[in-house]
Amino acid sequence: MDTRAQRGEPMTCPRCGAKMNHHADKVLYFNQAEETGSKDSTTGGSIEEMHACPNCGAGASRSISS
Amino acid sequence: MQNRNLYIPVVVGTTRIGCMSAHAARVVADELIKRPGIKTKLIDIAKLPLPTNDAGEAIKHADFSAHIDRAGALVVVSPEYNHGYPGLLKHVLDTCLKEYIHKAVGMVGVSAGPFGGTRVIQNLLPVMRELGLVTIFWDVNFSSVQKAFDQQGSLADQSYIHRIDKFLQELIWMARTLRYGREQVSLN
Repeated sequence: MDTRAQRGEPMTCPRCGAKMNHHADKVLYFNQAEETGSKDSTTGGSIEEMHACPNCGAGASRSISS
Repeated sequence: MQNRNLYIPVVVGTTRIGCMSAHAARVVADELIKRPGIKTKLIDIAKLPLPTNDAGEAIKHADFSAHIDRAGALVVVSPEYNHGYPGLLKHVLDTCLKEYIHKAVGMVGVSAGPFGGTRVIQNLLPVMRELGLVTIFWDVNFSSVQKAFDQQGSLADQSYIHRIDKFLQELIWMARTLRYGREQVSLN
């Protein structure tokens, strides 16, 4: 799931609605960054946040604005 | 939540017909399924119809992505070709990214020579790290693989079972630990 958000905003689990845990960031480059349209000024890529749900175990990710 | 099943697919990392890696993968999967709470499946990359005129997430395969997304860890069984990994294994691995992050991976090397794929595992380590996977301390090395299995593909050298057991014990521990971390421990 790709939902543009501000860094630090909690993510809601798309499966059960619980507040998710932010456990990793990944920088995406090349065409992937162009697709998201939110290049990070430091890395030149797009930052994707990875989240996991403590309630149901679902994983989800989202692009964040820099 | 602690008693949830853990899904650990085993990837057969070559498309070569009649490869010995398939036997190695099946033995690892057979040992995995004996463990309570563990689910597994053999994923044969030869059966993934991926194009070769593009790469990466642009050619993501829905079923493979779903398996990795569901997985708490994975086992990659790779033959050693000229000290490296099969190009088509890398082609398949590159189709996912988010699905791997902070999950455990165990590697099984297969070779006809005496080193049991140690060099292919060394070459896979930086790839796994960049994909976001977490490697473990133990590997399984099938050396002189033509002697490890009989003509029916059954394991001829039972000493491998003990090595696989040690390998899986750590992989499962790492998978459970990382699952707890993903769900409960915040990055910030």
